[in-house]
Amino acid sequence: MPKRTDIKSILIIGSGPIVIGQACEFDYSGTQSCRALRQEGYRIILVNSNPATIMTDPEFADATYVEPITPEFVERIIEKERPDAVLPTMGGQTALNTAVALAESGVLEKFGVELIGAKLDAIRKAEDRELFKAAMDRIGLQSARGGFVNSLEEAFKIAESIGFPLIIRPSFTLGGTGGGTAYNIEEFEEKVVHGLTASPIHQVLIEESVIGWKEYELEVMRDLKDNVVIICSIENFDPMGVHTGDSITVAPAQTLTDKEYQTMRDAARKIIREIGVETGGSNIQFAVNPRDGRLIVIEMNPRVSRSSALASKATGFPIAKIAARLAVGYTLDEIPNDITRLTPASFEPTIDYCVVKIPRWDFEKFKGVDDTLGVQMKSVGEAMAIGRTFKEALQKALRSLEQGRFGLGADGKDPVEVRSLPETERAEWRKRVLDRLKKPKPGNIFLLRLGFQLGCTVDELHALTAIDPWFLYNIKQLVDFEDELASVTI
Amino acid sequence: MKGSKTTKKTGKVTPELLRTAKELGYSDYQLARLWNASEEQVRALRVKWGIVPVFKTVDTCAAEFEARTPYHYSTYEEENESVRTDRKKVIILGGGPNRIGQGIEFDYCCVHGVSALREEGFETIMINCNPETVSTDYDTTDKLYFEPLTLEDVLNICEHERPDGVILSFGGQTPLKISGSLEKAGVPILGTSPEGIDLAEDRERFGALLRRLKIPHPQYGTASSVDAAIRAAEQIGFPVLVRPSYVLGGRAMEICYTPDAVREYMKKAVDVSPDHPVLIDRFLEDAFEYDVDCVSDGTDVMIGGVMEHIEEAGIHSGDSSCILPPVILSEKSLQEMIGYTVRMAKALNVIGLMNVQFAMKEGVIYVLEVNPRASRTVPFVSKATGIPLAKVAARVMVGKTLKQMGLDTFDFRTVKYTSVKEAVFPFAKFPQTPVFLGPEMRSTGEVMGISEDYGMSIAKSQISAGNTLPLKGTIFCSLNDSDKTEFGLGIARDFHRLGFRFVATEGTARFLTGGGVPCGHVFKVNEGRPNVVDMIKNGEIHLVINTPMGETSRQDEYSIGWAALEHKVSFITTLSAASAAVRAVQAQRAGALTVKSLQEYHLQNGKSR
Repeated sequence: MPKRTDIKSILIIGSGPIVIGQACEFDYSGTQSCRALRQEGYRIILVNSNPATIMTDPEFADATYVEPITPEFVERIIEKERPDAVLPTMGGQTALNTAVALAESGVLEKFGVELIGAKLDAIRKAEDRELFKAAMDRIGLQSARGGFVNSLEEAFKIAESIGFPLIIRPSFTLGGTGGGTAYNIEEFEEKVVHGLTASPIHQVLIEESVIGWKEYELEVMRDLKDNVVIICSIENFDPMGVHTGDSITVAPAQTLTDKEYQTMRDAARKIIREIGVETGGSNIQFAVNPRDGRLIVIEMNPRVSRSSALASKATGFPIAKIAARLAVGYTLDEIPNDITRLTPASFEPTIDYCVVKIPRWDFEKFKGVDDTLGVQMKSVGEAMAIGRTFKEALQKALRSLEQGRFGLGADGKDPVEVRSLPETERAEWRKRVLDRLKKPKPGNIFLLRLGFQLGCTVDELHALTAIDPWFLYNIKQLVDFEDELASVTI
Repeated sequence: MKGSKTTKKTGKVTPELLRTAKELGYSDYQLARLWNASEEQVRALRVKWGIVPVFKTVDTCAAEFEARTPYHYSTYEEENESVRTDRKKVIILGGGPNRIGQGIEFDYCCVHGVSALREEGFETIMINCNPETVSTDYDTTDKLYFEPLTLEDVLNICEHERPDGVILSFGGQTPLKISGSLEKAGVPILGTSPEGIDLAEDRERFGALLRRLKIPHPQYGTASSVDAAIRAAEQIGFPVLVRPSYVLGGRAMEICYTPDAVREYMKKAVDVSPDHPVLIDRFLEDAFEYDVDCVSDGTDVMIGGVMEHIEEAGIHSGDSSCILPPVILSEKSLQEMIGYTVRMAKALNVIGLMNVQFAMKEGVIYVLEVNPRASRTVPFVSKATGIPLAKVAARVMVGKTLKQMGLDTFDFRTVKYTSVKEAVFPFAKFPQTPVFLGPEMRSTGEVMGISEDYGMSIAKSQISAGNTLPLKGTIFCSLNDSDKTEFGLGIARDFHRLGFRFVATEGTARFLTGGGVPCGHVFKVNEGRPNVVDMIKNGEIHLVINTPMGETSRQDEYSIGWAALEHKVSFITTLSAASAAVRAVQAQRAGALTVKSLQEYHLQNGKSR
């Protein structure tokens, strides 16, 4: 299908200030979509309140509004500029929420503005967990057991039927603000109350805990001809229970069997079709129970996300740019791949290397804050590295973080030098390391190294952390090789 | 059990072992540590044995088709896929992972630098490791290396590409850390020299330079023991700003008013040693702070903009809101600031961007800090004035002059509107952390409000920051004694005139009533029920103005701050911000919300220039 000529001007909504959970990845997607759509000859109108972004540079749009991203202000902009369409899928949750508000209040209809990239129905189905669960049921996919509540009484009922631990997720908050895990009734009450307050619609989702399950993400794209491509699979090193934004993540997925991976791919295609995202990219999160292989769908973002920025950099496939073109009517087979120029965007990327992303936290700036990682994202940035193997990429990513580390330990920054530790102190250190590893915290990756140095086994560390044995073996192999290195001189 | 056996050195490293180590991702630094050698020694041995990285291409197709986009990563293998061209080339070092204090602003500067240099005909090569950024989009530059920004990795690329120049000043503090070592290794550095950077960063050398240039600066000292710190503080005069010279574990800086406070601080700062002393500066209380961004080409210095901080001294410049052009700065003081800026830019031989922080107290202008590199405020200033500072700086670094660009006579005050920058904080993510601002930066991002009207610019910045001000209702006010002034009263009267009601705890209530502002009384948290927190929870308070009173009432203030955050009640912690808020409320009540594009604003400036 050729590009649409019935629309001439497009309003792109940005994501506003950098906050935890919504950072400069949306400047990347916004900048790409501005560039791509201007090249196609559309008049671009942009709104973003964040002056530090590249997309708000006057040269990236025909009209750049550095104004608040609220329905009131965006309505003024629409009234003044009269765009034919609005593209809300490039600016994170902020853009999506604003567009939904404008659609629901009738503003878009009043000014004859079409929502492109994702239709209101699809956004609702993906974002409203109740509708999403129902949709998953329809296509025979499992999701976590649980339900939505608007009060503490309702919450207690669900708690009774499922049992602890339980995950509490407030509806419509950024990066899951106000969410958490409850292991007992007391904690549960506290977190539900907090979540109900944090949610703009005073609703929280209570779900069975899938803590310790393996976590995956697929980046999926679909066009108007119903072509679906999987751009990238991402595996979380840290199991379920730690927000993806706070997890070390690896692309492509490393520990799935081919059969498991194909099942997940099939599920992703069914999901994007059922939800009805017709043009663009989506991010779908899955969890796999390591004991029985049970696969459940966690959630879907019907827009570009933090993970799509990572997937774009990991594969060389520019998701936002292609998504912008799909939104104006192109199909995947009509868009050439920038890198090869020979293959179309409907060719799924293949990668012959390994990518590792590691988050960076700034807890020391916030006195009194618990640095345990959980379902609410706390990191402020991330580094990514590419290597031929997981080991190489991991070490490169660790030195990319710029926190004084030069790889997986052995850089003089470890709390203890195990090779010169007296035999008598080893048990004490071993206990200390194992104790610390019980909770997911920044820097645990270094403790895994210490654990192996102090004689822990893969099984032991797996039982404690639920990190997949494959990752642990890799770390163990680095530790063994380090001993070999330490046995020689220059 | 291993351990004792592995400490025994059984032989010499072989080329095979070294190669395997590199394939497994070990850095020269780690190997140097393991072998009690220096990083240079490891590197030299590696190069001698021909163990150097090759650069592979990210091609989307596992080498099945030919790739055209030069997007590379290093590894230790056989075939090199990154082809060096014969074009004139410049490498730009990015800012690495985002963190508080170094974020998207530096991505902006890098991308601008790249785009200007591409226009100037250079091949541009980007090195960065942050996947969230535009600078790591292979569309942005001619060539992208997705690599760590350590000395080893950067040198490997420099050796392969042999660039005509490397730009370090766009990526924040990250590239500056390796500037000296890169220069030592013979890498040509564009812009301000590492010597100039060191001169600005070395306290003693910089102090001496300021004295020679006759530019005032706050008194300062260093100390590595409790007694020395107290002596130094007494000599300098209280209050003092105390901070570690070497930030380990990120201990916050603090403002100390008494010798006891200094003693307390030193006790907490356990890692103090002669190598890592504590820095002590005179704290200019109640001073007004300013930020200046300029570009120098060695002959002319262009002032990109002067920003006036809305919050007074003591709040980190990254956390403070600011306004451009300044509102209260006199022409004389402005000229003085510009004069100092020009003198320092010349003395440091700045080629490119420089940021200066000034404080003004009782008519005297003091220099607080100089950074001869792109600063956090460059994108804001560029958008506020329409002059893309980072692009201008990049051109200057490759030899263009400001005169050639017609910018030597640029006057930022020709703007016909007011721009306000406001910071955004992650407090809602971190329950139990203090919500009051201080000398340690904690904001994650920023927003900008633009309007012809000062009040409306403030209002827009507050709405964008998620701190929408109420247009009517009840204000809870709690002022510390030093804020119980005519200025404070004036603000209260203005709010009162706008129809706001006041409630306050005892002392502040008495002060407001005495000044003719009717005010209800409300209990402090521990005085009784219902108290102020109850009122916030019940939705009876619409704005909180609470200027912090110090240690004794801190717990109260935290719970008030927390209740306000949780119930999305606008929260103000300084008088100057309260004064700006009055103006914002006035503007919103007086006129409708208007929107205008940057292109329209900049066109207005163009007409007058």
